Amino acid sequence: MKFHPPNSSKVPIKFRLPTAENLVPIRLDIEVDGQRLKDAFTWNVNDPDSEVVNFAKRTVKDLKLPPSFITQITQSVQSQLAEFRSFEGQDMQNKEKIVALKLDLRVSNTVIRDQFLWDVSNLESDPEEFARTFCKDMNIGDPEVAPAIAVSIREQLYKIAVQNVSSAREYRMGKKGRRGLENVPNSKSGNGALDLVKLFGIKGSIVRKRKEWYLYEPIVDILSNEEVEALDAREERNSRLKKKLEEKEENL
Amino acid sequence: MSLSDLYTIPSSSSWFRWDEIHDEERRSLPEFFSGSAFSRNPRVYREYRDFIINRFREDPSRRLTFTEVRRSLVGDVGLLRKVFQFLDRWGLINFGVPGGESEEVGAGASAAVVVEDGAPAGVKVVPAASAAASERGTVGGGGGENGFRLPPLTSYRDVFIDEMPGKGPLCGNCGGDCDSGESKSSKGGYSMCTKCSEKKNNTEEKTTDDLKVNNHGDGNEDQVSNTWTDAESLLLLEAVLKHGDDWDLIAQHVRSKTKLECIAHLIHLPFGEHMLGPTSSKLDNRQPSSEVTQVKAAKSPVTELSEESIKAVGEQHIDTDEQEKAVDVSSPAHALKRRRFTSFSDATDSLMKQVALLSTVAGPQVAAAAAESAVAALCHENPCALKAFEIDQDEVAKFGSHIMKDELESELKVEGQDLKEHRKRVGMKELYPEKNFGAATFQIRASVATSIGAAAARAKLLADQEEREMELLMASIIEMQLKKIRSKMKHFQELELIMEKEYAQIQHLKESILEEWVRILQQAFHSGIPRWRDSGLPKFLPNANM
Repeated sequence: MKFHPPNSSKVPIKFRLPTAENLVPIRLDIEVDGQRLKDAFTWNVNDPDSEVVNFAKRTVKDLKLPPSFITQITQSVQSQLAEFRSFEGQDMQNKEKIVALKLDLRVSNTVIRDQFLWDVSNLESDPEEFARTFCKDMNIGDPEVAPAIAVSIREQLYKIAVQNVSSAREYRMGKKGRRGLENVPNSKSGNGALDLVKLFGIKGSIVRKRKEWYLYEPIVDILSNEEVEALDAREERNSRLKKKLEEKEENL
Repeated sequence: MSLSDLYTIPSSSSWFRWDEIHDEERRSLPEFFSGSAFSRNPRVYREYRDFIINRFREDPSRRLTFTEVRRSLVGDVGLLRKVFQFLDRWGLINFGVPGGESEEVGAGASAAVVVEDGAPAGVKVVPAASAAASERGTVGGGGGENGFRLPPLTSYRDVFIDEMPGKGPLCGNCGGDCDSGESKSSKGGYSMCTKCSEKKNNTEEKTTDDLKVNNHGDGNEDQVSNTWTDAESLLLLEAVLKHGDDWDLIAQHVRSKTKLECIAHLIHLPFGEHMLGPTSSKLDNRQPSSEVTQVKAAKSPVTELSEESIKAVGEQHIDTDEQEKAVDVSSPAHALKRRRFTSFSDATDSLMKQVALLSTVAGPQVAAAAAESAVAALCHENPCALKAFEIDQDEVAKFGSHIMKDELESELKVEGQDLKEHRKRVGMKELYPEKNFGAATFQIRASVATSIGAAAARAKLLADQEEREMELLMASIIEMQLKKIRSKMKHFQELELIMEKEYAQIQHLKESILEEWVRILQQAFHSGIPRWRDSGLPKFLPNANM
């Protein structure tokens, strides 16, 4: 008989991604001399920082990019890692919470749109495995799709983990003035979190209503090359527009 | 939950029940049963499980994917995936659907059967219809490595006829690979390894025409061209009348068909049995008494044998060596056909018939040994009997040994008969030694001894059966006890879960009371009450903190 308090998940834990492996999602978007590098991958926080430079060198060599990319990549990765580390050591609320995650991404010719529920308090979850299963079930042959899905999931989990840190902070602050502590996380994390009592209580049904199925059904589109080019051009335009706006703001 | 259809699941998953959760499930998916989270409890697990399995069974020929399942289930996808994989691993879903992770090959609901050379040894290809014969498809619940092993059906060939060509020859009977040297998979046919075909020949005559053993390969391979014309049938019958059981000669006579085909066809003719009947009964008479094992002997009333056999013996004198040879050659083929056990109800009241039948059931060696020991025991018990038996004690012993086909030569000498040509006749002569002793006395003694022996053998069989039944009952008792214990365990687990829940509630209550206290105290401070005059309250706080 184990008699540890069953609500141990309520006890705050130190910040980390709520997954089995504490991998940080990293996104690169670098432009040097008209050449652009866009990439997304995961990085193990426990790896030494010297590895980042090696990684950058390797990437530049493999992709035949000019050497000026090396410092850019290193800087970008390190700043993202630093941001992640800034949360480490802080308390994070880890209450049982199931959130709807959304996928909306394009990897070369494949467009994926999907929505599913994720238990953000489960520290054993495995986005990579989920992504692999997804690709197998949907017959996606492109080997880049699964990592992209996993990164997208991790980014969302990262965001939620950061939220949990701030809610844990508020919890501590809230001890002073506010009453009804239970209401705090609920009002705060109302975005996407599900009402567990309603769904998993005695009256709830875990079988989703048929009319809601389409919401949680993955949509996979394979685009033709022309469509991909059109999309690329549009994105390029948008990003340039954005840049100009930013520059304007800076000038102002 | 009543299911009108039957589904195939692997025998290793026979633990599965709709209405309960097995220990295996608790072990593999502990997160549902630890009570650690609100969204994970046994009820939710069962709903997940039942939904997924039902979903698969809506169309068992199609592979169910996880992505498809999670669309219609509310819950953490990581957890759902675990359940899904668990069910998939145990074959409760996607069993027998081609193209999965597990390389199981089986039959779907449709006749689309995939036969692969490299199919794992544990999985046999099974026609779905026959698999469904047992409840929920569990065949031989305890079946370990071997999975399914169903008896070959006559429809087997029909099911697999399209899949067989080009693939490695698999024996239809035992599932093992046939050595291509021994038996070839004939095109579009049903092949067997020789071992099995021998066995099968002995036990089952019906499928003889389904068999195509190698030595008929020179003829037309197709079943279709195996049809017999009337002329050929006529030739066959003629040959049978003329040559008896000598199938080589018959085949020569028919010419267009092989030996095996002739045999098969004759069996299929409505009167084939009768055609062979007289010749084979004669054969039996001529063969040593060990041939009594062939039930034909029991069929031909032994009481009539005396007359017939005298005739037979007479004929034997005249018979040429050719006839001898015919007996020798035909005896294997003959044995194949004759070896069949009639039920006890067939036997009439005749003691001799019973004796013959019983000894058939028990087997020649057993019957012989039983007879000997029975006689010995009788002599021991009753001095009169001893006296009676003493006279021809050695004869009886010889009779027994005769059954075992041994020492026939010495027998011949003792009998002093002139029919020494062939040992096969000895049994006959020995059974009817009219010249030396009164036939009747010997017959009666022999029959008494044999019947007692056979009865003893039968008693032994019955005792064995009884023992087995006892074992079975014992096993069922143990199983019931186990079930009882298991249900108790389940009860306790439920209790534990309830306890834990209550403990959580109490904990929660404690916390909120503590919170309330803090709040009241704060309010009290804010509202300007300087100090609690009542000293009892602060003391109470540490208690609540525990």
